Amino acid sequence: MIPENKQGVDARHEAGHDGREVGNRMFNNAAIIGVGQSAYTRRPEPGQTALHFMRDAVVAALKDANLNADAIDGMAVASFSLAPDAAVDLAWKLGLSLRWLAQDTNGGSSGMTMLGNALRTVEIGTADAVLILGGDATGLAGYAKVAANYNTATQKHLSPLGHGGPNGVYALVASRQIKKYGLEKSDYGHIAIAQREWAAKNPNAVYRTPLTMDEYLAAPLVADPLSRYDCVPVVAGAQAIVVARPDRAPKGRPSVRVRAHRGSYNSDNQLGDGLQTGISTFAKDLWREAGVRPDDIDVASIYDDYPTMVLAQANDLGLISGNDLARFCRVTIGEQRFPVNTWGGMLSAGQPGGHAGGLNGISEAVLQLQHRAGERQVKNARLAVATGYGMTMYRYGGTAAAAILERAE
Amino acid sequence: MNAGVTIWRCANCHAALFPEPLLCPHCHGAAFESDRVHEAVVEEVSVIRHMIGQDNWQPRRIANVRTIGGTLMTVGLRDESGPGSTIELSEEGTAPFGRAKR
Repeated sequence: MIPENKQGVDARHEAGHDGREVGNRMFNNAAIIGVGQSAYTRRPEPGQTALHFMRDAVVAALKDANLNADAIDGMAVASFSLAPDAAVDLAWKLGLSLRWLAQDTNGGSSGMTMLGNALRTVEIGTADAVLILGGDATGLAGYAKVAANYNTATQKHLSPLGHGGPNGVYALVASRQIKKYGLEKSDYGHIAIAQREWAAKNPNAVYRTPLTMDEYLAAPLVADPLSRYDCVPVVAGAQAIVVARPDRAPKGRPSVRVRAHRGSYNSDNQLGDGLQTGISTFAKDLWREAGVRPDDIDVASIYDDYPTMVLAQANDLGLISGNDLARFCRVTIGEQRFPVNTWGGMLSAGQPGGHAGGLNGISEAVLQLQHRAGERQVKNARLAVATGYGMTMYRYGGTAAAAILERAE
Repeated sequence: MNAGVTIWRCANCHAALFPEPLLCPHCHGAAFESDRVHEAVVEEVSVIRHMIGQDNWQPRRIANVRTIGGTLMTVGLRDESGPGSTIELSEEGTAPFGRAKR
């Protein structure tokens, strides 16, 4: 699906480094069988909390999976808005009695990390049906507090500078990327504009009005060189996914299997330049284990808090031929040769916390592979790659995870 | 405001680290001595023009810098220093700042 890219890892005939047979699915007894999302909104109604959005997402996902709540015996949740409650309190409020429970704190990679853990849990039979849940409704002031207190490094060494939260951190990363790869500001614009075009076909996206390059370039700077459309908009909302045995999938609808899943946490101790994510540490293994190559992929969901990080992750995955980021922006994305973030991404659909935002990318991959993406459906989509990236530790994010998903007939 | 910025040196391999670690990422040594660095070279600069949740925000400049010993840190800039400039480092509480070397 990426005609100019032949550089990817040839995975089909290599042995796995850990001796595992490659080319088979990593998970044979676990699949994604349902997805659901709440409404996304820039301004929640008074009294409308993250928990209400999460409830709506759960109800939608259960309906989509054609399961009653009693069938759920495992749950993984990630949210900035749970405290002082924990995951078990949420289980109580949802009336779920569970055999497996996890709370994830890996930010933008939480969705992908929880997916891997849920798949492993169902695969080995610890639970039969796992609900994966993320959501937030911090509001702008609440998000500012979260961003100023991500971790002790941020509290002690960044917030007192007035660093602007992640916008300031990724502004500096973007400057490095522009310098290293010879990018122009408009290159980031191609990503924002393409994703807005996809968002116009997604009724759940918060921003759906088409965006022109002139509008993109004229937008006010937020943190040089990042301007308004380079920065993910904070919204309220929630997202849920159901993982269960493949035979639990609603009749007449293919489940979505995961051929391979990998994660990386603190890959370089913040000693690098942030232009390589943790994905670079496992991309070869991911493709090898999946038994496919980057140019086999039909549709991609790349975690998009900033266009800068879409490019970094896509490059780490081997989706960008010859590390030519400029050409990828101008030709592959600008000329719509390869579908990336077909739900509009967080840049247009909105980011209800990185946790739910990451889950939305996975959900979109599922909808595309099940051929349920409506107007934005990619024809005959059979293989997808999805990523998560997050936890702005000091100079850039420290967590990343990715999966290769396939339509299972 | 104090001149210089506190960093931590691994007692085993002498790597200079910031922020403070528990184990050295290079040799996993557990003992550190605090040290101060006074100069760095600016690598990238951003102007923070908007802060989420604040209406009366005044733009501020931040920078990625590399100390002479190679330690990477993010500082607040007190002047118009740009990439390639050598700056003097200072510390307000636990936050590193810098301005052009006089």
